[in-house]
Amino acid sequence: MAERPAPLDRPEFEHPSLGKASTADVARPLSVAEQLANIDPVRKFTVLLGAIVIWELYTRLAEVPPLIFPTFGDTVVALWKGFTQYGLAAQIWTSMSILLAGYAIGIAIGAALSFIAVSSRFGSDVLGTLTSMLNPLPAVALLPLAMIWFGLGAKSLIFVLLHSIVWPVALNTHTGFMSVPEPLRMVGRNYGLRNIRYVAKLLVPAALPSILAGLKLGWAFAWRTLIAAELVFGAAAEGGGLGWFIFASRNEMDIPGAFAGLLTVILIGFLVENVIFRNIEQRTVVRWGMQS
Amino acid sequence: MSQSAAGAAPAGAAQAVAPILEVQGVTLQYKTKEHLITATYRVGFSVYPADRFVLLGPSGCGKSTLLKGVAGFMKPVEGEMRLKGRRIVAPGPDRVMVFQEFDQLLPWKTVRQNITFALRNGGRCPRESDADEIAMSYIRKVKLTGFENTFPHMLSGGMKQRVAIARGMAMEPDILLMDEPFAALDALTRRQMQEELLGLWDDTRFTVLFVTHSIEEALLVGSRILVLSPHPGQVKAELNANQHSHANLGSPEFTALQTRIHDMLFADRVLEDEIARRG
Repeated sequence: MAERPAPLDRPEFEHPSLGKASTADVARPLSVAEQLANIDPVRKFTVLLGAIVIWELYTRLAEVPPLIFPTFGDTVVALWKGFTQYGLAAQIWTSMSILLAGYAIGIAIGAALSFIAVSSRFGSDVLGTLTSMLNPLPAVALLPLAMIWFGLGAKSLIFVLLHSIVWPVALNTHTGFMSVPEPLRMVGRNYGLRNIRYVAKLLVPAALPSILAGLKLGWAFAWRTLIAAELVFGAAAEGGGLGWFIFASRNEMDIPGAFAGLLTVILIGFLVENVIFRNIEQRTVVRWGMQS
Repeated sequence: MSQSAAGAAPAGAAQAVAPILEVQGVTLQYKTKEHLITATYRVGFSVYPADRFVLLGPSGCGKSTLLKGVAGFMKPVEGEMRLKGRRIVAPGPDRVMVFQEFDQLLPWKTVRQNITFALRNGGRCPRESDADEIAMSYIRKVKLTGFENTFPHMLSGGMKQRVAIARGMAMEPDILLMDEPFAALDALTRRQMQEELLGLWDDTRFTVLFVTHSIEEALLVGSRILVLSPHPGQVKAELNANQHSHANLGSPEFTALQTRIHDMLFADRVLEDEIARRG
C-alpha cells in the first residue's frame, strides 16, 4: 500500500516591507483598434456598411433589373430626388407629427394604466387581462373600424397607433414596478414616500430599465403600424406620409423611389433606436449600473 | 389580551429612565401562499436610550419579522409596540431600517444623493444645501470621503453597507433598526464593520436594535441580548453583554457566555431532533 502524502514541513517567512512592483504594468491602456471595437455604434455601423456593400455588389454583379431591385446607388439618387423634387421631407414630417402625437398620448394612457395596476390587486388584474386580450391583436386590423368611427385622417391613424403603444408600455412598466426589490420599496416607505410620490420618486427610477424597454417596443410597433396604415389609407388622404410615398412611387413604377422610401423608414427606425434611445440609456440605466 | 410578556423590563435603577421602545406581548403573523405563519408569540422587551439591543436567534425565530413590526411594515395581531410612548402604526423616518441586502441603496443616486434623498423626503431637512452638509459629515464619519459622487454599483459590499448606515444615522432617528447588516459581507470586512459601528456608537451614542443569528456578533455588537427560540419566536432570555468587545474576544468570560447562549438555543435543537426521530 502506497504511503499517504503529508504536507512538507518548511520554514516560515515574512517580508518586513514590500517594494514597488516594477516588472509589469498594473494598468495598460488598450490599443486603438481594441478601443474602437469596444464602441457600440462603431460595431453597428460596420454591420450597416457591410449590408450596403453586399447590396451594391449583388445588384451590380447579378445584373438584377432595376424594376425588380435597384442598386444602392440608384436608391440614393432616388432618395436625393425625393427630398429635392417630390417633397419627401414634408411626407416624413407628416408621418412623424402623427407618430409623436400618438406616442405622447399613448405613454400618458400607459402610465395611467400602470399606476392603477400598481395601486391595487384588482387594477393589476384589469391590466393583465386587458393586455393579454388586446396585445396580440394587430393594430392595422383595427384600421377599417377606426375609419368608420373617426373618418379618414389623422384621428384614425392616432387611434390605431395608441393600440400599438399603450399595451407594451403599460405591460413593461407594470412588470418593472413589480420587480423592484423589496428592500428598496421598504426604504421608500421608511423615508415617508406615499402614493404618487412613492411611484414617481421610487418605483419609476427603480423600474427604468423595464420602462425604457417598453417605450422602445411601443415605438417600434407604432412605427411599423403607421407605415402600414399609411399604405392602406393612401389614395384618400392628402398629406399621405412616408407610407403613402412608398405606395405612390410604386404606382408610378418608380421602384428606386419606393426603395428610397423604405430606406428612409429603416434609417429613421435605426436612428431612433441606436441614437436617441441608446443615448437615454447611456445617461441613465447604464450610468447607474442597472443595465450594461 | 395578555400583557404578562416574557422578558419583563429590568427592575431597579433602569426604571428611572423612560424606554425608547416598548414591545409588549407582540404576536406577529404573516401569510405565505399556503400557510399562515406565526413568526413571534407574545414577545416583549424594552429598549432604553443608547442601548445596543440585539435580537438573537436561529432562523425561524421571527427576529427579522419583529424588526419589520417595529419599523411599522407589519401590524401585530396581539400586543402593542410603542416608540417614546406613541403607538407604532406605520413606517416613519423616526425609525430607520438598515437592511442586509446591498440593493437597499437607490442605484440612480450617488452616495451623497442617497443620503440627501432620505434627509429631504424624510422631512429632516427641507433645504438642499443643509442636507448636503449633513450628508458630507456622515460620509466623513463612515470614511467614504472621495466617494460622495460615486454611484452605488461602483462600490464594494462593505462600502454599500457603510452608505446605508450613514444614511440611517444621518436621519438621527429615535432608534436605528439593523437587520443583519453585515451578514452578506466577507469575514474580514464584517469584523471591520462591527468595530466601525461600535466606534460610531461611541461617538454619538445612538440607540440601535440589531438583528443577528451569530452569537459572536451579538456579544461583540450588543450591550443587551434578547435570545429568541424558533417556531414560533418566543423570548428565551435577556442577557447583558456590555462587558464584551473585540478586546476580550476568546477570553474565558466571552466563551462562557457564548457557550451559555449556544446551549440555550441548542437545547431546542436536541429536542427537535428527538421528535423528528420518533415521528
